[in-house]
Amino acid sequence: MTAAARIHDRGYSRYTDERTGTGGAVRSLYRQTLQQALGFRRSVWQKILPFLSIVLAYLPAIAFVGMAAFANTQPRVAAQVQELLPTYAEYYGFVYAAILVFVAFVAPELLCADRRTGMLGLYLASPLTRGTYLLARGAGTLTLLLLVTLGPPLLMLVANTLNGTGPTSIGEFLTTLGQVLVSGVVIGAFYGALSLAVASLTTRRAFATVGIVFILFGSSVLTQLLIRRARFSQDLFLANLLLLPLELVFRIFGESGHINRTASEAQTLPLALAWAGWTGGCALLVWLRYRRLEVTR
Amino acid sequence: MVTARELTKRWGSHVVFDRASFEIGSGVTGLLGANGTGKTTLIGMVLGLHRPDGGSLRVNGLDPETAGALVRARVGYAPEHHNLPPDIRAHDLVRHIAELHGIPARVATARANDILWQVGLGEERFRAVSTMSTGQRQRVKLAQAIVHDPVLVLLDEPTDGLDPVQRDDMLALIRRVGTEFGIDVVISSHLLEEVERICDAVVILSGGTVAASGAIDTLIGAGRGVLVQLDTDAATVEAIAEDLRARRFGVDPGQSADQLLVTPLPPPPGLSATTADDPGTSPGASPGDRTADGPGDLHDAVRDVVVAHGAGIRRLSSSTTRLEDVFLQAGAEDAPPYVAAAEEAP
Repeated sequence: MTAAARIHDRGYSRYTDERTGTGGAVRSLYRQTLQQALGFRRSVWQKILPFLSIVLAYLPAIAFVGMAAFANTQPRVAAQVQELLPTYAEYYGFVYAAILVFVAFVAPELLCADRRTGMLGLYLASPLTRGTYLLARGAGTLTLLLLVTLGPPLLMLVANTLNGTGPTSIGEFLTTLGQVLVSGVVIGAFYGALSLAVASLTTRRAFATVGIVFILFGSSVLTQLLIRRARFSQDLFLANLLLLPLELVFRIFGESGHINRTASEAQTLPLALAWAGWTGGCALLVWLRYRRLEVTR
Repeated sequence: MVTARELTKRWGSHVVFDRASFEIGSGVTGLLGANGTGKTTLIGMVLGLHRPDGGSLRVNGLDPETAGALVRARVGYAPEHHNLPPDIRAHDLVRHIAELHGIPARVATARANDILWQVGLGEERFRAVSTMSTGQRQRVKLAQAIVHDPVLVLLDEPTDGLDPVQRDDMLALIRRVGTEFGIDVVISSHLLEEVERICDAVVILSGGTVAASGAIDTLIGAGRGVLVQLDTDAATVEAIAEDLRARRFGVDPGQSADQLLVTPLPPPPGLSATTADDPGTSPGASPGDRTADGPGDLHDAVRDVVVAHGAGIRRLSSSTTRLEDVFLQAGAEDAPPYVAAAEEAP
């Protein structure tokens, strides 16, 4: 042992400084939500799926920005290239698979695991309540979904604007920015609430993931069949949980008729109300489920 | 630390607590009871997770129902189950729990390190929980329960699943938490032996009520005495019992007709129990007419009375009550609740 070496037994030390309270607990759980879903401080395998989804969501945006920049330097092919580039609303069609992977993965990873591993009991034994727990988890889930629903169109907007291929005035830029922000939140909140609701019903992540996919695609297939084959009302499209938010995004950008005929015939107000109803209903289901959940009995 | 008055709690038609009153003081307290007697429910109520249907509960002077967040910020909790998140490292889990209880991130990192060393997981602190043994997981649970410097820590079956060596180590560690660390501890357990080993006090739950509570020394001490098995007829046994009672000893029948359980009674007010020259002899009393303080005195006194009656002694041994005896007596349906005076609790 050198002269400078020391062995310190710090023992047990009291903590007498100020505590961060409920706000600190919510912030800590919010931060942990992001880290857990993205696989930080976890094995490599748990990083693969979230980062693959993010890459898939951003890759088209980067490619389209590159194409727009290329078109800007090649006046002869500019028109043809511009024709190939999607609008902001159409962009979601390119990355819908990545969004759905994220949707089907994130909430089950968080809620199911907490109940299955008993972490929920430890969380509720802290200054967190059931409400603040759900607030932190819900905010984290929304943030993660915004990463793939808001990030790529925002990247496109900023890059296109800097490249001179985007909005031509501040007013137009701000309008498009508002549309991008609202669209990202519309898709993120809808799928976030839906996935949290499904995840609140089971402790098995795989069941929740399969359930989310089944509900989304099942509702789409079923409503399409009932409308087209059984001649049900066109309003049944409002129960198409896969395409409802996507159609609403088109309306936000002032577009319509890109998904299918039944979607284009739906009125915007009922679409918006259905979106609010489904989102609020799912959030309510989560709250009711957790309000009655016994954790230490 | 925890005070319950007329506490009532029902789960549907099942009454868990029926106007139960008790106090949990400082030190290490055992919460005993058979399965379904409400140990975990009580922990839930202390944490403010379950609402009492009647009565009042105070934790560190606060009502957990209305000030749950404040209570939980200064209370640690280690659940019974073993299934912690498998893929998280012990250090990350402990640090996260510290942050949840209001410790700033940088301090939480340092405290997580320190506390994992304290519970004997210093070298293992960066291992994933899934790679740890049951004993190590129990230590992780203890570490996360005390990392934020609580005033009270609730441990639900902390030795569940441990082998004897691991259990001894864990009990010693819990005792350290209650003494050296200065954190009050409540252990929920159904293992009487381990509660008796490390607890200062106990609360025994039975049939919706607190069957017994108080300092363990007080509860166990009430039954100290001498068990004598006589070699004589029943009439002589009864005569010996009467003689002992006349000499101010407590006398109860043993498990068989020829046995007597003799216990010392406190001296009458104003009468000194012992003198320097003749321990155990009151001034002016005959040699046999005395109360006994030490076990030897009691043995001698009983022997003298038996010999005076011309009876033989088959067996003369100390009879000390164990916590198990208190538990069984308190848990018996007809047994009256035995509640030691609250002020006698440590």
